[in-house]
Amino acid sequence: MELLISQSINGLSVSAMLFITALGLVIIFGLMDVVNMAHGEFIMIGAYVTYFVTTVFHAPFVVSMLMAFLATALLGALIELTLIRRLYGKVAETLLATFALSIILQQLVRMAFGPEDKFVGMPLEGRFNVGGIVIPHYNLFLIFVAVAILAVTLALFYKTPYGMQLRAVTKNRSMAQCLGVNTARIDTLTFACGSGLAGLAGALIAPVKSVMPSMGSYYIVDGFLTVVLGGFASIAGTAASSVVISESVTVMAGYMSEITAKVLVFLVIIVLIRFKPEGLFTTEKR
Amino acid sequence: MLKEVKTVGWDKTIDILLLLFLVSFPLMTSLFRVEMMSKCIIYIVFALSLDILWGKAGLMNLGQAMFFGLGGYVLALSYATRDGVPAFMSGFGVTEVPWFMQILHNTPVAVLLGMLIPGLVAGLLGYFIFTSKVKGVFFNIITLSLASLIELFFTNQQKYTGGANGISGLPPLTIGEEPLSVLEHYYVMLAVGLLVYLFCRWLTNSRFGMILRSVRENESRLQFLGFNPAAFKLSIFVISGMIAGLAGMMYIPIGSFVSPTNIGVGFSTAVLVWLAVGGRGNLTGAMIGAFLVTWLESLLSEHFENVWLLILGAAMLAVVMFFPKGLVGTLLDWQYCRRVDRQLGDVSCDDGLGLMDGELATAKGKV
Repeated sequence: MELLISQSINGLSVSAMLFITALGLVIIFGLMDVVNMAHGEFIMIGAYVTYFVTTVFHAPFVVSMLMAFLATALLGALIELTLIRRLYGKVAETLLATFALSIILQQLVRMAFGPEDKFVGMPLEGRFNVGGIVIPHYNLFLIFVAVAILAVTLALFYKTPYGMQLRAVTKNRSMAQCLGVNTARIDTLTFACGSGLAGLAGALIAPVKSVMPSMGSYYIVDGFLTVVLGGFASIAGTAASSVVISESVTVMAGYMSEITAKVLVFLVIIVLIRFKPEGLFTTEKR
Repeated sequence: MLKEVKTVGWDKTIDILLLLFLVSFPLMTSLFRVEMMSKCIIYIVFALSLDILWGKAGLMNLGQAMFFGLGGYVLALSYATRDGVPAFMSGFGVTEVPWFMQILHNTPVAVLLGMLIPGLVAGLLGYFIFTSKVKGVFFNIITLSLASLIELFFTNQQKYTGGANGISGLPPLTIGEEPLSVLEHYYVMLAVGLLVYLFCRWLTNSRFGMILRSVRENESRLQFLGFNPAAFKLSIFVISGMIAGLAGMMYIPIGSFVSPTNIGVGFSTAVLVWLAVGGRGNLTGAMIGAFLVTWLESLLSEHFENVWLLILGAAMLAVVMFFPKGLVGTLLDWQYCRRVDRQLGDVSCDDGLGLMDGELATAKGKV
């Protein structure tokens, strides 16, 4: 029983991480129908930025989060302007191009900083001990950040002029264009925003996991599963499905290997999708 | 009236030249290179398995290596467990070969299962994906996730799969008493490769192949005509999985090992790159792509291992941006346009004709 409780509390912080990882994917996909295969590499770059800011320059962790966001957002904007922009509407081509990009980015980082693992110190050392169940402070911090990001993203989408334009473009691109919305600028901003979120996810992952060039491919699969379960273009669905996936994997992982748990969850998702193709948490479109 | 445009494209010529080259290759070079080329032939078969799926039916499987790896692991386990419990199992306290591996003792059964198991996985996965209403990138994402999970799973199940090291020290093919030599292996692989090529050619030129093409081009119109696209997608997915499984089994006696790298995302990416570079939709492009890229890879990575991946990524990006039809596809289009130009005189031919890839040039024989 104790194992079950501690695993489900653990699961919450894992969900927080998964949510931040998947959010960028969903935002980019929902707006532009682009599956960004290089998303994992943006996470990896965010983690490396964190490594350099905290371990090499000894700046506080919060600064590194900000830097990771800005650096990857800039990189994302650059990539959108030079590459993705030319390939809109061609699904196979964007997949291949971002795939190629992920190979290049990974290899560049490997050549520049070496293949070995880097470690980032834990920014919050303390832990609570409630009746034999240990909760590190950092896990609570992760949950807090995830909720904050969810709130900020929803506010950005539903309370700002940018968000209104973005929703208009998502609904009907050509009509939005006719009404004078600068869709190209919205695309760039959104891609940058999604990439920045990936970088932020990398920064948050860095203290818990080791930082290495190939780390991105590990997170992108979980991100994809979340997107599939949550519906392709729904922020709330992403939040819900990341909790469902992480909780079930983490709780099951208390009793079997984590990989087996993941495979089981994956199989369940495939079967579910057969009967609920819109994703579990999306209301059916008319 | 316009005359019929000559329809024999350069792809057939390239196919025949490639076959002649492969047949005569052992006469020209050392045994080491012959062994490299045997692997190349296996990769060509693997590329063909994806081309009939992605190129013909438009289903871009991002995890094709899972079928390759499954086939490979089945045959590898059959060899490894033949003489009692192998070292990687006994190291974990397994004292007897588990029941589900005992059926593999019989090599013909193992070979059959090496194709049936990938086919079954493809069938189940395809059933749930294709009969569902989900569209578009879902297929890509699911196959990618599955390949990655299977890779992790096989690495994780050390007791049965040898973990990250895989299963090594596998024997070469034996016919009768003596194991085959490198040269004999090469020609066996070439023969199997040729059979697979002929099968793919026959399949894609048949009525079934035509319908697959229309699945790619316009699925809803196919439905209006009374066909069920899901059934066709499912069948080609299973066939493609089985051929990939066959390629995986062919790899065992040559490579003499199998490891999670043969089953995962990295290898799936590699085969995508071959097809993207060579051009998809006509079998020639897949073969040329697999041949060129793997041969270059083994030559270059002997000296510049780091730079190789960088070159690969850059080449892939360049092809996607500038030659979206791949090398062979671009060549065929150019040839077709030149023929049309010659007949029409001064009217120039460009993408406005709606040419999708080289294959359409042959399909639209009449202008």
